[in-house]
Amino acid sequence: MAEWSDVWLVVPVYNEAQVIRDVVRHARQTFPNIVCVDDGSRDGSAEQIRAGGAHLVRHPVNLGQGAALQTGIEYARAQPGAQYFVTFDADGQHQVDDVVRMLKRLKDEDLDIVVGTRFKAGADTSHIPWIKRLVLRTVVMLSPRTRRLGLSDAHNGLRAFTKKVADSLNIMLNGMGHASEFVELIDRHKWKVAEEPVEILYTEYSMAKGQSLINGVNIVFDSVVRSGAKR
Amino acid sequence: MIIIQIVLILAVILLLLFFLRHHGKSKTAASVKIGFSLFMIFGVLAVLFPDEVTTVANWLGVGRGTDLLLYGMVVAFGFATINTYLRFKELELRYAKLVRAVAIQNSEQPQEQKEPVKVD
Repeated sequence: MAEWSDVWLVVPVYNEAQVIRDVVRHARQTFPNIVCVDDGSRDGSAEQIRAGGAHLVRHPVNLGQGAALQTGIEYARAQPGAQYFVTFDADGQHQVDDVVRMLKRLKDEDLDIVVGTRFKAGADTSHIPWIKRLVLRTVVMLSPRTRRLGLSDAHNGLRAFTKKVADSLNIMLNGMGHASEFVELIDRHKWKVAEEPVEILYTEYSMAKGQSLINGVNIVFDSVVRSGAKR
Repeated sequence: MIIIQIVLILAVILLLLFFLRHHGKSKTAASVKIGFSLFMIFGVLAVLFPDEVTTVANWLGVGRGTDLLLYGMVVAFGFATINTYLRFKELELRYAKLVRAVAIQNSEQPQEQKEPVKVD
């Protein structure tokens, strides 16, 4: 248990009362420190988080996943002894075993951040819905930055990174655009990045909750306007 | 039509660059206000002296003064929209910071439980 006491799991939660308690319970068998950011849920997620035994930070209003991640990271990096940080989904898609592997790489190799991927060469992707596969592949193909960094799955929510990364992390896109923003930050700060194949469980629950593809239009628009404004 | 095309496209590109680069500075805010006032004055003049506007329009290669006004409107509307969009984004960001500060202030530690998990 004490092995991972320098690790913080950051879990953005929005209306996940059905599953969040079990997800937290399960993850806590390995990782003692979990902070759940309840992003203005209206379904009793907060109660379930308390019952699961995680630290609870509540947005009084709903802001979006990017904002919730940033809040969780700011909370976690202020905790004494926090050295490693993991962004973890609330809907049970992510596997604790994958996190352990990513953290071991982060500790053993000279890396700043390890990102999960569904598309490592040779990986079996048949369980991923084909339309999702197509869109995610297209996104990677259209982003020269993602390819330059050698990333094959920029929109994977599972990431592990060091204190150095957490300290300079400032996610500005409140909504779902933060995944591309992460890639941009990796590039700008020249963080050493690696990919680790992970398994994403597409349960009926997570499919119903997941991103609608049309929201990709919003993500692209936000990213374009924002990068123009920054230059 | 060729002169007006060049003028309009250049106006759009320059304004866009200017906007995205210098957004949020007081100088930009001032020039936006000046630009808007000039546009309003132009509108009043166009109503008062339609023939003069047509002369200007012809000189630029546009058929009628009303058409010139319409083109100007389209460009102005586009920029008003971008301005509003950027303003909203900025507000959203401040709002997020406020929410974040409140959230972290009111954070809750997990209750002590039967299983020995707490480290500190």
